[in-house]
Amino acid sequence: MKQVGNKQHVFSLKTRLQRLKRDGNKWSVFTLAIVFFLALPIMFIGVKLFSGPGETWSHIVDYLLPEYIWNSLYLVLVCSILALIFGISSAWFVSRFEFPLRKQLEWLLILPLAIPSYIVGYAYAGIFDYGGSLDLLFRQMDFDFIRIDIMNKAGLAFVLSISLFPYVYVSARAFFLNQANNLFEASKMLGVSEGKSFFKLMLPLARPAIVAGLVLVWMEVLNDYGAASYYGVNTFTTGIFRSWFSLEEPETAVYLSALLIAIIFALILFEKWQARKVKFTSAKTNSTQMQRRVLTKSMKCLLFCVVFLPVLLGFVLPLLQLIYWAVLTASTVFDLKFLITSLQSFGIAMASSIITVFFALLLIYFSKWSTLRFIKNIARIGVLGYAIPGAVIAIGIMLPTLALDKWLIKILGDFGITSGFIINGTLIALFYAYAVRFLAVAYNPIDSTALKVDSSISDSSKVLGVGNLKTFFKIEFPLIKTGVFSAIILVFIDVMKELPLTLILKPYHIDTLAVKAFEYASDEMVMEASIPSLFIIFTAMIPVIFLNKLLIKK
Amino acid sequence: MLTIESLSKSFDNGKSYALEDVTFSLKAGQVCAIVGESGSGKTTLVRLIAGLERPDLGTVKMDGKVMASLGKFVQPEKRKIGLVFQEYALFPHLTVLDNVLYGISKVKNKKERAQKMLTLVGLEDMGQRYPHQLSGGQQQRVALARALAPEPELLILDEPFSNLDAMLRTQLRNEVFDIIRKTKVSVLFVTHDTQDALSVADEILILQNGKVVQKDAASNLYVNPNTLYVASLFGSTVRINKNLQNAFKCPLKETCCHAIRNEKIKVNPSSGDFDCEYITSAKVIKKIELGDSVQLLLKLESGEQLTVMTQDKNIEDTINIGFNSKDILEFDQER
Repeated sequence: MKQVGNKQHVFSLKTRLQRLKRDGNKWSVFTLAIVFFLALPIMFIGVKLFSGPGETWSHIVDYLLPEYIWNSLYLVLVCSILALIFGISSAWFVSRFEFPLRKQLEWLLILPLAIPSYIVGYAYAGIFDYGGSLDLLFRQMDFDFIRIDIMNKAGLAFVLSISLFPYVYVSARAFFLNQANNLFEASKMLGVSEGKSFFKLMLPLARPAIVAGLVLVWMEVLNDYGAASYYGVNTFTTGIFRSWFSLEEPETAVYLSALLIAIIFALILFEKWQARKVKFTSAKTNSTQMQRRVLTKSMKCLLFCVVFLPVLLGFVLPLLQLIYWAVLTASTVFDLKFLITSLQSFGIAMASSIITVFFALLLIYFSKWSTLRFIKNIARIGVLGYAIPGAVIAIGIMLPTLALDKWLIKILGDFGITSGFIINGTLIALFYAYAVRFLAVAYNPIDSTALKVDSSISDSSKVLGVGNLKTFFKIEFPLIKTGVFSAIILVFIDVMKELPLTLILKPYHIDTLAVKAFEYASDEMVMEASIPSLFIIFTAMIPVIFLNKLLIKK
Repeated sequence: MLTIESLSKSFDNGKSYALEDVTFSLKAGQVCAIVGESGSGKTTLVRLIAGLERPDLGTVKMDGKVMASLGKFVQPEKRKIGLVFQEYALFPHLTVLDNVLYGISKVKNKKERAQKMLTLVGLEDMGQRYPHQLSGGQQQRVALARALAPEPELLILDEPFSNLDAMLRTQLRNEVFDIIRKTKVSVLFVTHDTQDALSVADEILILQNGKVVQKDAASNLYVNPNTLYVASLFGSTVRINKNLQNAFKCPLKETCCHAIRNEKIKVNPSSGDFDCEYITSAKVIKKIELGDSVQLLLKLESGEQLTVMTQDKNIEDTINIGFNSKDILEFDQER
């Protein structure tokens, strides 16, 4: 054997091109097409920037923009701190200690996710309002000089964090339960105290997982419109709505959207950067589970209270308030129209979750069948929609579909056909937007089950003479069914809860439960908002429990 | 039937090579074992041949037809190659029979053929079971039946026995190759175990760091290894460096590299003659009893340490060891 010279160590352009020609297939093209389709709304916002800002832009920059930025950052920061405190403490206590009702609390802690944050906002407004539940309670106890005003920035931050902390809780708990047990035991064996082991060892180790959960909190905080507008706090999202609906200046909405996207990408880059610096967790999960410590009676009670507090604040109290309102307003709200709204809501959520899951499957398998390596990286772009606030996606879809519709109407007019809008203001635009926004929600569970299917299984099928498509239907799909099923459910919940995007893009005559709740609340009829809210919560609750079962199995 | 020409594969755009400039060929009906440590590129090589990876440079030909080159690529499903994976990769949701039927859905007498295959591997009664109801060895044989059912021209076995324990392994290896010999298919057999390779292969291809270091008849590799690496794959081997040359007083050419297998170093028996050309004395530092033999860790006067085996249990503290010139292996200096 002769040493091969260095000539091969850089591939020549010619061989690269030859390989590109050999390896490029239709699946590569299809993958690119889907990614383009999913990224189009965001690209359109980028392109639209070049046509200049609207008339009021300079006014907004001078007077409102600093407030938008300051408020949004304030919310992100305060919510992070609160969500970390609630999320990490509860995750650690339920993983490490044994106390009454621990098992129940473990899944109860996830339930705040079933209540959309704007609905938590309505409930707390009712609790703290003049003449609200707390006010009545204080008067009973002759404390009527105390009144807490919650309808401000700090109140909003509290409401958002108490409804979003489970994102941190879930990822931190998954880490504590499955990943670091052996290290924790090693630390204890070395004679390091419980508290020191936690702060010096577990917390730094869990950081990447915790920050990954925190990123979801940031996304949701920046996505929120319902709660911020109800609490009268000016954020980017409310600014986008105002410039779109009140000022009727799409250009300004586009500029605000672009700025918001920039902030979000900065946050995502920060997350990637911190995860790159620490990569100590092994992919392997421990087979042994953490042994929970049994405590003294008083400690048990204390821990129970500490862990129950976030459940109480994030789930029980808002739910009780809503049920109280629902009892008061049931007779006025329940009617045929409400039934139709519910059915429309379910129908839209069902259809869009199936469409979204379909696109996720296409993206996953087309990019897998594409033999070009870089295509697989490009496919990840299609998943970014989850980071983009619903209002921004709505703007990014509204503008091109409006233009397309105008063009179509003109063409059809030339043929003597008069027509209204074909895409804009129809369900097509809405489904498109949901697919862009929630693709990641469908992509992740499917992708993770698809990864569990050993690649040698699909390889076997191919070597046995069966092509890609047939392999998918005969081998892969039967094996990833559970992933597909949970993806449909997850997207379903998210669509049920979704507000800002739906508000902008929904067809005029169609309502969803979320929109109904928002409209009641904005019309000073927050009590009436309770019934559609409860419908959303109960639809979302069942799958949240189901999801937790999946999580435990993992 | 299979010709590989300067095949190369890199997973990082040419910064490093999983496989570099591999050339060899396989005659019809032969069994060729591909041997190397983990990470030597064995699996990459067979995946390239099967069409599950695409080469960066070089050509794969079967019966003169190009399967993969810079300009051409034949899909794996069109190659008539059977592949048995290390983890068997049986379809978990299909019965044993359906697994075997999977690759022959377009064949006329598919039911009979599948049944015949199951009989061949001795699982004729297991057709309705699911893979998880079978033992490891049975799953292995289903994988073999499934791969053989479409009557491939080339059968590739990728570390097929590494998931089995040592006892079962030898037995199953012999069974599997008895079945294979009946079908007269050409076989590429990937393994890191030289015993596996020596016992069943006509030829052995040795890979190291993605390059072919030697390809030879199985019988020849042990006697005539190309490099120290190849020699030590077939049993531990000591390089005879300057110190050892001096200790044993054996003058050797300086332009070459020499080595001796540990098992060829003889220990002076407590009784009887000791006929070795090169002899030195050594101190016994450690004795490890291994059932019927004893492993000795020795220290020579020059400070060199050596491990030797002996059957003799009555070993004194200082002994004589030696070897003969016919057992010395000789390689080019650079390797």
